[in-house]
Amino acid sequence: MEGQNDVKMEEKKKEAFRVGFGVLILLAVLTMGEFWLGSVASAWWAPLILIAIMKAFLVVRDYMHLPRLLAGEEAHE
Amino acid sequence: MTAHASTLAEYQRKTAANRLGLWLFILSDAFVFGGLYVSRFYLLGTGSRPEVNQLVGLAVTSILLLSSFFMNRAESAMAHGDRKTFLNGTLITLILGSLFLIGVVGVEWQIAPFGPGDGVAASLFYAMTGFHAFHVLSGVIFLAVVYSNGRRGRYSAERHWAVEACAVYWHFVDVVWIFFYPALYLIGSAAI
Repeated sequence: MEGQNDVKMEEKKKEAFRVGFGVLILLAVLTMGEFWLGSVASAWWAPLILIAIMKAFLVVRDYMHLPRLLAGEEAHE
Repeated sequence: MTAHASTLAEYQRKTAANRLGLWLFILSDAFVFGGLYVSRFYLLGTGSRPEVNQLVGLAVTSILLLSSFFMNRAESAMAHGDRKTFLNGTLITLILGSLFLIGVVGVEWQIAPFGPGDGVAASLFYAMTGFHAFHVLSGVIFLAVVYSNGRRGRYSAERHWAVEACAVYWHFVDVVWIFFYPALYLIGSAAI
């Protein structure tokens, strides 16, 4: 029984790591995109702010775990 | 219910209250950063920005985003009882946070062709990066405390509120920079 729990825990941890890595890749792509946009069209402030909002959304949802706050007492991962 | 289960339930209840308190603190802090952010656009518009080094800006931004990844990894590891990955992740975050501080205060501030008193854009640049750097410094100290306590085995998969609080605070500092980076480095052409 304990062995089963350990396996489950390990799987959940790997899944959390996978999500974290996926978010990092998205953040890297968006950052490269905004750097490029900033160098070719620095007057386009709206898309640059939009990219910032998208990046912030990812961090708040997946790294800061905002849904955990809204879910109540027990929530974790 | 056993005594252990009851204590754990009490801990989880307190954690939920702490979590709400932390988010309220973050919300109030966000208003201060929001004020600085709005001031940048009110005073400089969208056509101009301070003359800053683009490569330094990209480098420190990448460092901070990478630090958030490692902080998330550290917190997830602790939540699943993996103490070694937690300690490694926290230490890497601490190092990356320190590198960010060196990049902004030790490099960008030194090579900037203007001082804090050289006009509105210059003052705003130092106010925004300085206030943010102070938060990064607080985060680095917080990380050092969490790392030290983690080495002493004070956290477990069930009880690690301090780790979660440190992670949320660190990511908040990252979110602030996500908005500051385009505002200071990308939007508009260099005016001073």
